[in-house]
Amino acid sequence: MKTIYKREFLSYFRTPIGYVFIGVFSALSSVIFYLNNLSALSGEILIFLSQLTLLVMLLSPLLTMRLISEDSQKHAEKLLLSSPVPLPSIVLGKYLAAASVMLIAIALTNVCTVIIMIYGTAFAGEWFVGYLGFTLQALSFLAVDMFLTCFARNQVSAALLAFAGNLMLWILDLLADAIPVDFISNTLGFMSLYDRYEPFIIGQLSFASLTFFITFIALFVIATMRLLDARRFSQGGAA
Amino acid sequence: MIDVQGISKRYGHVQALRDVHLTAEKGRVLGLLGQNGAGKTTLLNIITGCLAPTSGRVLINGYDPLLTPSKAKQALGYMPEHPPLYEEMTVEEYLRFAAELKQMPRNAIPAHVTEIMENTGLTEMRYRMLSHLSKGYRQRAGLAQALCGNPEVLVLDEPTSGLDPKQITEIRALILALRKEHTIIFSSHILPEVRQLCDHVVILHRGAVKLDADLDGLGGNSATVHCRIQGDKRKLTAALQHLDDLQSMQILSSAEPSELTVSLTFGKTAMPEKQVFTLCSALGTPILRMTRHEDDLEQIFLQAIAE
Repeated sequence: MKTIYKREFLSYFRTPIGYVFIGVFSALSSVIFYLNNLSALSGEILIFLSQLTLLVMLLSPLLTMRLISEDSQKHAEKLLLSSPVPLPSIVLGKYLAAASVMLIAIALTNVCTVIIMIYGTAFAGEWFVGYLGFTLQALSFLAVDMFLTCFARNQVSAALLAFAGNLMLWILDLLADAIPVDFISNTLGFMSLYDRYEPFIIGQLSFASLTFFITFIALFVIATMRLLDARRFSQGGAA
Repeated sequence: MIDVQGISKRYGHVQALRDVHLTAEKGRVLGLLGQNGAGKTTLLNIITGCLAPTSGRVLINGYDPLLTPSKAKQALGYMPEHPPLYEEMTVEEYLRFAAELKQMPRNAIPAHVTEIMENTGLTEMRYRMLSHLSKGYRQRAGLAQALCGNPEVLVLDEPTSGLDPKQITEIRALILALRKEHTIIFSSHILPEVRQLCDHVVILHRGAVKLDADLDGLGGNSATVHCRIQGDKRKLTAALQHLDDLQSMQILSSAEPSELTVSLTFGKTAMPEKQVFTLCSALGTPILRMTRHEDDLEQIFLQAIAE
């Protein structure tokens, strides 16, 4: 797994994707920080973080679009599948590489925290809960996106599919409200990443949401492993 | 050793492979022949664990790549038809990555990769990005990654495809050098290449094995030599007719009046070259050219795939 992780992580910085992702994420998060905090003279970290969800939603497909579909497009999956590295390690290595780049981008937003600390007051507990919730939500989007990219044959369709998936996840709570059937409405509400993130935005360390996010990530990473394994049985070209 | 036991593969309504059995042994090269779409690549993908069969199983040194992948694939090097390259890596980085995938000890990797680059003629390209390589070098990089980790079993899918004549000669020489210590199975539709490199040939047609035989045993019961001999045509023709076990003699047209060009077919047990040489030596007629006309693999191939 370490070998796969190292290769995938470095490949983000051998190609422009890693720089573009971190650069755009940092630039747009600075704009959001300016609008939400600086111009409003507010030291609210949690509100700032809640606004960043939109960025994760928009930009996480950039990180996942090449993870699986590029291997398939360039036949590199045969190198991996014919190697002694087990499929779960391959998928986990790829996911952790994308997650690492995401974590770097998230870590860089702490420049804003430092500015708040200099000119106002930042509360450690608030900071911890806010960043924990935001990070878990971002990693959840990544897990879903990686799973969805398995269905795409090239990077563009992988990115579009991932973006559509993110949007669906984000508006699940709106859909839940709109559908009058209780069972469907409750299920959609349960799956909504927005609803799950809400306790963190108000500074609550919600163990229910924490467990949900961790289970959600594990579920989609395992689903990716199972899907790629199943393709060996069903497809002409292996995953 | 590769042991393929009754492999079948179905994609929806398409039966890609039907009950394929074959065995490739250490120290021997098995050539997989077939038309485009015969199922060669599917079979190689199944052997290497990239695809799962619908039924049957593969054993690599006794291990099934689907049930015990780490043990089976440790001994396996696969060069797919399209080299599996990560374009943003340099040749050396890529081969180090391939060696790490094969779980080689870290301290042994640099020397191992250097040796492989030397053997495959990639040393001068070691710092070049894979995306900047010509097709020939990309093919070499694909072969080089298959050699990483010194796998005992090598599966090569059309290894000389897209190479220039010099590169083809070099890759063929490399395969011949590797055969002693490895089990090699490779697919090709270049018949002279199969003739030159393989000990054993399997012909696939529409997913089924149509021929599975040693190349030595393919010649039937005859051996043919083509000779160009300087001397009196009539005298030579009369003398050649008395050679032992001669089955047929066909005089071919020759531009030179003082030369005889002839095709001689002997029984399998005869030693045609020795007989012709001894005779011409006794007659004092120099042999300008003598070549063994091997059994026609093309004919055998066409017969095997004929409905």
